[in-house]
Amino acid sequence: MLETVKLSKTFKNIKAVDEIDLYLNRGESVGLLGPNGAGKSTTISMISSLMKPTSGDVLLNGKSTIKDPSEIRKVLGVVPQEIALYEELSAYENLKFFGEVYSVDKKRLEERIQYTLEMVGLKERQKGLIKTFSGGMKRRVNIAAALLHEPEILILDEPTVGIDPQSRNHILETVKRLNEEQGTTVLYTSHYMEEVEQLCDRVYIVDHGKLVASGTINELLSILSSEDTIQIQLSQTTDSLIEKVSAIDHVLRVDETKEGIRVISKKGSNLLSQIVQIAESEDLQIVHFEVEVPSLEDVFLHLTGKTLRD
Amino acid sequence: MKAVMKAQWMKEKRKPYLILLFIGLSILATIIFGDTSEFEEQTVPIFSNEANAEEIESKWSELLNEEDSSMKFVITDEEQARADVSEGRRNAAVQLMEDDYQLIVASDLPYVLQIEQLVQQVFTKEAWIQAATGGESVADARDEINQLMEDPPVQVETRTTSGDEFQDYNMGMQLLFGFSLFIVMFTIGFKVNGINNDKVNGIWDRLILSPVSKSGMYAGHLLYSFLVGIFQLTAVFLIFRYLMGYDFENMWMILTLAAVFTLSMVSVAMLIAGMTKTPEKFYMIYPSVIPIIPIISGVYMPPGTLTNPIITFIGDLFPLSHAVEAMMGVALFDYGWTDLTLPIALMLLIGVICMGIGINMVERGKN
Repeated sequence: MLETVKLSKTFKNIKAVDEIDLYLNRGESVGLLGPNGAGKSTTISMISSLMKPTSGDVLLNGKSTIKDPSEIRKVLGVVPQEIALYEELSAYENLKFFGEVYSVDKKRLEERIQYTLEMVGLKERQKGLIKTFSGGMKRRVNIAAALLHEPEILILDEPTVGIDPQSRNHILETVKRLNEEQGTTVLYTSHYMEEVEQLCDRVYIVDHGKLVASGTINELLSILSSEDTIQIQLSQTTDSLIEKVSAIDHVLRVDETKEGIRVISKKGSNLLSQIVQIAESEDLQIVHFEVEVPSLEDVFLHLTGKTLRD
Repeated sequence: MKAVMKAQWMKEKRKPYLILLFIGLSILATIIFGDTSEFEEQTVPIFSNEANAEEIESKWSELLNEEDSSMKFVITDEEQARADVSEGRRNAAVQLMEDDYQLIVASDLPYVLQIEQLVQQVFTKEAWIQAATGGESVADARDEINQLMEDPPVQVETRTTSGDEFQDYNMGMQLLFGFSLFIVMFTIGFKVNGINNDKVNGIWDRLILSPVSKSGMYAGHLLYSFLVGIFQLTAVFLIFRYLMGYDFENMWMILTLAAVFTLSMVSVAMLIAGMTKTPEKFYMIYPSVIPIIPIISGVYMPPGTLTNPIITFIGDLFPLSHAVEAMMGVALFDYGWTDLTLPIALMLLIGVICMGIGINMVERGKN
């Protein structure tokens, strides 16, 4: 349905997005993961026709949207990262305004306003001014405003940043319902791994403007299926310890963590006794020891060398 | 476009205080600074230090005050008169002698010339009477002349270079127009800044993705700013005309000029919005630039006071000087539509240029 072909964007000499290829099938829910500054928002801006790419193309049903964005704009609903609402107006007035700019029929608009408000759980607060709302409530109205014209594709740019857990759950439930019950195609960007795991069928991981991995969550997790991740909590960490553990056979990588070290090794390597010996020789005490089941976060760490919130 | 305008109106309804405040400010500023009595009647201290000072002061005070009602000659102590002039409370003082006078001034103001002309006229007339009568029956001769002058055999009529009847300049009226237009520039600017606000908070992007065209988005904001501006000016001028009794001669012409000025000023605000890009920068730059415009346009000064060609050229780049000049022409000098063609054309030209550059600058840098 929607596809990008070698999509690139350069600002002066900085490549913000570097030849990204991604596709969305109809009714699919796809996650776009990456740390701050990875190029997620720039990619979304280009897909939604708000920004022209330096090179590459965006195709909707095989047709380029770069020269004539009118077609993609008809089927697209975008939830921006910022609260794109008039603070001085009520939730109802804001939705009415956005419905009117989308030329939604007057009677239909009234139905859609009530429906979307109910969906985001703010029907009772529709007369309240946006400026009196909490951050989470504002974000929910922000989503409702993108749903009024019944878009086939919904792009959400980090819609849960800085909000309370209740609003966050509400937003995730709303997106899930839209995707599962109404068949809306969803492109969801976030740097909250658990949200993407909960919502998305497939995931694209970007870093420094480049696509570093893609696939279903199971496919991504299988990247680490040949590895074990061991978290070791120590009384103290020394360079010498890291050096010695790195030198053990089958150890692929050693990272220093806040509480100790994280060791990534080949699956099935029995390292425990050797690590205990090294710790004893360094006069360090092992406080806690855990072999982790790999998560998407570990995949991300493995691919980019940093955590999502870096 | 309609939806964009409607949203601005909805916001305005919630907070109408800005416009109401600016309407009040226009009226207040005109009342405070535009009190025309200062310009209509000047007080000139007179004194004499001759031996018969009292007699001389009494004689010339009577003759000088008979001549012109716009100036009031008041007998004052010499020391006080000199202090009043040197400290700027009075434009000039007159030291009287038996058949002569000396003007005491601190600086070369336009008013000094008016005072000098009047005093010289009175002394010359008195000298003629003295010469004609040989110093006898002066009072009778003066009465006879005054009677004759009620129906003079020859009349001198002063006309303007274009042949129109000469009118006294009304500085109060100029300040009325000046302040009203100056304050509406703020209202217009703050409304146009809505574009920057929408761009920063993401509403502009949402509108781009909607079926509303770019021209519709700009038109919605700019037309709304224009309507708010013209509403404010109309309200202010109607209050001045019907509640405070100012005579504008032709209200429709004044309102037409107000509309053209507002249109042109919307464009100037658009240019500044394009240069500043963010609402915060706009709020910093716009209120710093706007108060300079009436000063370099000479709005606070009588015509002809501002002579520096560079300053007048810069002043002419803004619509204010053209609008005030044209409005004064309508209110005082009976201007017709033909006379208004040039100022209207200049304001429209400023509008077109500023709008073109402004929108271009807003759009530039997007990609």
